[in-house]
Amino acid sequence: MIPIIIIAVWEFFAIQANNPALLPRVGDVISRLVHPFTDLLNTGSFVRHIIVSASRVVLGFILAAVIGIPLGLLVGRYLLFHRLFSPIIELLRPLCPIAWIPFAMAIFKTYTIADMFGAHYTTSIFGQIQLGMLYVIFYGGFFPIFLNTVHGVKSVKHLYIESALLLGADQKKLFKKVIFPSSLPSILTGLRVGLGISWMVIIAAEMLPGSDAGIGYLIIFSYELAEMDILIASMILIGAVGALLSYGVKVLADRTSIWQAKER
Amino acid sequence: MSFLRINNIGKTFLGERKEEVIALSDLSFDCQDGEFLCIVGPTGCGKTTLLRLIAGLEQPSEGDIILADTVIQGLNREATLVFQQYSLFPWCNVIDNVCFSLEMKKIPKKTRYLEARKFINLVGLTGFEKALPYELSGGMQQRVAIARALAHNPKLLLLDEPFGALDERTRHRLQAKLLAVWQKERKTVVFVTHNIDEAIFLASRILIMRDRPGCINDEIKVDLARPRDRRSQGFLKLHIKIREVLEKILITNTNNQRGAL
Repeated sequence: MIPIIIIAVWEFFAIQANNPALLPRVGDVISRLVHPFTDLLNTGSFVRHIIVSASRVVLGFILAAVIGIPLGLLVGRYLLFHRLFSPIIELLRPLCPIAWIPFAMAIFKTYTIADMFGAHYTTSIFGQIQLGMLYVIFYGGFFPIFLNTVHGVKSVKHLYIESALLLGADQKKLFKKVIFPSSLPSILTGLRVGLGISWMVIIAAEMLPGSDAGIGYLIIFSYELAEMDILIASMILIGAVGALLSYGVKVLADRTSIWQAKER
Repeated sequence: MSFLRINNIGKTFLGERKEEVIALSDLSFDCQDGEFLCIVGPTGCGKTTLLRLIAGLEQPSEGDIILADTVIQGLNREATLVFQQYSLFPWCNVIDNVCFSLEMKKIPKKTRYLEARKFINLVGLTGFEKALPYELSGGMQQRVAIARALAHNPKLLLLDEPFGALDERTRHRLQAKLLAVWQKERKTVVFVTHNIDEAIFLASRILIMRDRPGCINDEIKVDLARPRDRRSQGFLKLHIKIREVLEKILITNTNNQRGAL
């Protein structure tokens, strides 16, 4: 019901304004969306831009998970790691990832993964994954993943740990068989939130100079050329892809932790 | 030398305002191999603390605990504790819960499943191997917990009011089941409860604890033939006797409090 009202209001104002550079008609945006493979403004199609953005996010996000989860497990379990990492993490946490973007651009310039491996003129996707962008995505995804993992480990019931120890578990087995599975629901929540933030951060990062692909770039470029239909179509796509990513993690989460919701 | 010997142990905790709280003081008893020992006492007398000390989850402030000629230091690997609260791992199904200790011993999956099925059968839960704990009733969960403890094959089985949260019918059924298991496996059992009826039905010997500080007040041998009839003269006599001892403990406590005031 609500989407219909929104579309109706939009269409009403679009007809009133009668200016596609200000507010395009609903039909114009839809006709853009139904042709996802058509080249736009000589920059490539929607599909290409989304693939570029998504590969940046996925890579940066995997990096955040690979570092955030083990570190969270250690910090949550061992006081030594807690003391070592907590101060720096508390200091960095309030610093929003978007504030890092200019800094990361300045440090990493437009250096890409392909450049790292010496392939300077490549059409492969790696030529589109800038290290600076990876860094800010990593930064955006890391904190929710890390903090939720720590929280998960800290809330493992003492009863389970004592049971496992009495049943002959050593520290290694305790970690693998009790602490990790018990924190898994919390870790998956962290992954879901982290992925959402990574997806927001990448759009912002792509809007800054130094990028020539990605859905965020397409938004800012179509804004400059007053192509509002492309701009709105891109926004709809960002929402759709974000929801899809989140849904993917949720399906995974529900499958691995049915017990959590039902636990008495 | 007896199988389990508790030697003048004391346990002191630090309270919230850093004051010393004496939970147990100068507590001693012996337990023979294969004995079914029940401990009853008023709430807060330190029954759970005593079991945790025997399990090695906590260390006594004074005295020592000797199991099979070895002084317990750190975790007691020869004992398993079945907690009052439901302690099954909620992410593992029944058979993996029962298998847990076997998995820790690196026994291959096929062998340990075979072994686990024996114990699941013993507690009467065949057919529920793949169920997750949340799908089971409280009584079933405690039966799985007992099967899990038995599969570990400990020399000493410690039970902390395992049937405390169950209704009377289920409680009676599980008591009978536990006795059958005990008679078959010939384990030494220390069973804590505040239910007099439960203690008389199960125990070879009953220790009555008093509180402030927690120590053994009385010891009663139960010579009734098994299976015990709850309505028999002997059963009822013992019930009254234990009740009297517990009431006396309560009265002394109240008087002491009056004196203190």
